[in-house]
Amino acid sequence: MLSSNDDTPMQQRWIQIIGLALSAVYAAAIVWLYATEPRSFKEVATGAQVAVGTYQVDQEKFNAALTLFRRDQFRAARDEWLRADAAQSDPRTQFYIAYSFYREGWGRIYYDQDLFKQGLEAVNRAIALSTTPLTVDDENLQMHTAAELKAELEQGTERSWGDANPLKVLRTRK
Amino acid sequence: MSDELRISRNRSKNQALVTYVVLPFIFLTVALLGGLRVSSESHAFMFLPPSLITLVLAVLLVLLFVRGRLIEIRSLIAGENPPATNVAHIWILLTLFFASAQAFNSVLPEHGLLHWLFSFCFLWTLWNNQFSSFDARRLLRSLVVLFGTAFALKHLLLASLYSTDGTWLKRLSGAVVSSITLGALDSEQFAPATGYISFFTLGLYIVGLMLIGFSHQQISTNTDIALTSSRDS
Repeated sequence: MLSSNDDTPMQQRWIQIIGLALSAVYAAAIVWLYATEPRSFKEVATGAQVAVGTYQVDQEKFNAALTLFRRDQFRAARDEWLRADAAQSDPRTQFYIAYSFYREGWGRIYYDQDLFKQGLEAVNRAIALSTTPLTVDDENLQMHTAAELKAELEQGTERSWGDANPLKVLRTRK
Repeated sequence: MSDELRISRNRSKNQALVTYVVLPFIFLTVALLGGLRVSSESHAFMFLPPSLITLVLAVLLVLLFVRGRLIEIRSLIAGENPPATNVAHIWILLTLFFASAQAFNSVLPEHGLLHWLFSFCFLWTLWNNQFSSFDARRLLRSLVVLFGTAFALKHLLLASLYSTDGTWLKRLSGAVVSSITLGALDSEQFAPATGYISFFTLGLYIVGLMLIGFSHQQISTNTDIALTSSRDS
C-alpha cells in the first residue's frame, strides 16, 4: 500500500526533492521523444544534439554535396546534404537543398511542379530555422537570399496567362 | 538499542529511495516503453501515445488501486503532510496513471475491431471489479492474470496468426480468418522486438506495483520499531 510516512527527516526530504527533480527531467525527455518521434537511436542522438544546441552539420559531406551541385548533379547533391544535415536543422543546408530543387525543376518551356513544391518546403524550412533573414554568400548562385528563392519557387508553382507567352523561352535560370 | 535505531533509519532511507526515486523511474519507463513499437519492415521506432480508451481504463484501474487499498489517497495527500511530500505523492500518482495507460496501450491491438474487442473486455473486467471486494494482494494477482492474458493474445496468438514469415499453415489460417471476417480482425504487424519490449514493460509495471505493496510493509515495520524504541527509552 502506498501511504504517507509521518516521520520525514531532512534526508528523506532531500531524497524527495532529488527524486522529483530527476523524474521530472526524465518525464520531459519522454514527452520530447513522443513529440519528435525519432525512428532510430541515431535520430534520438541527433535530436538530443539539436535540443541541447550542440548540433553541427557534417562539413565534409556538405562540401561534397556542394561540388556535386556545381556539376549540376542535383539529386546526388541533395542526398549528400540530407546526410550532412540529418536533423534538417541547418538553414544554410536547407537553402541549398531548395536551390537544387529549383535548378533541377527549372525548364525553358515548363517548370517541374513536384520539384518546385519540394523546393518550396525546403526554403520554408530554411526561413523558419533562421533567426535573421537568411543570406548565403556564394558567387555561383544568382539568388543569395531565402526570400528571393522562395519568391522564384512560388512564381513557378503559380499558373497564369503569362505562361502562354512565347517569349518566356528566352528566360534564364538563376 | 542503537542497532535498532540504525536499522530503522536505514529502512526509512531505503523506503524513501524506493518511493520517491525508484517508483517514479519505473512508472515513467513503463510510460515510455508502453507506446513503443518497432516496424517490421524498416525496424524503425514508432511512438504511439495513449489513446482515449487507455486513459479511461487507467482511471478505472487507479480507482481500483484505491478501492483495493494499494494506494491510500487520504494519507498520501493530506493537510498535515509537508507541501514537498504532497507534491512528491501527487507526482507518483501521475506517473502511476500514465504507466497504467501505457501498459494498456502495450497490450491493446492498435486499431480495428480487435482494438475495440480488447478494450471492451478490459472495460468490462475493470468495471465489474469496482463492485467486488478486493485486497491489495488479490488485486495484484488479478492484474497479472489480466495483463498476461492480453499479452499472450496480442503478442503470441495474433502476432503468430498474421505473421508474414511464418509457416504456410500459419499464413493459411491468417488468410482464412482475414477473409471470413472481411478484414475486420486484421492486426498490424510489428517486428518481434515489439513483443519483447511489451513483455519487459509489463514486467516492470508489475514490479512497480509490487514495490508499492513492499513499501507499505516497510512503513509498518518502521512504525513498529519506532514505537518499540520510544517505549524502551
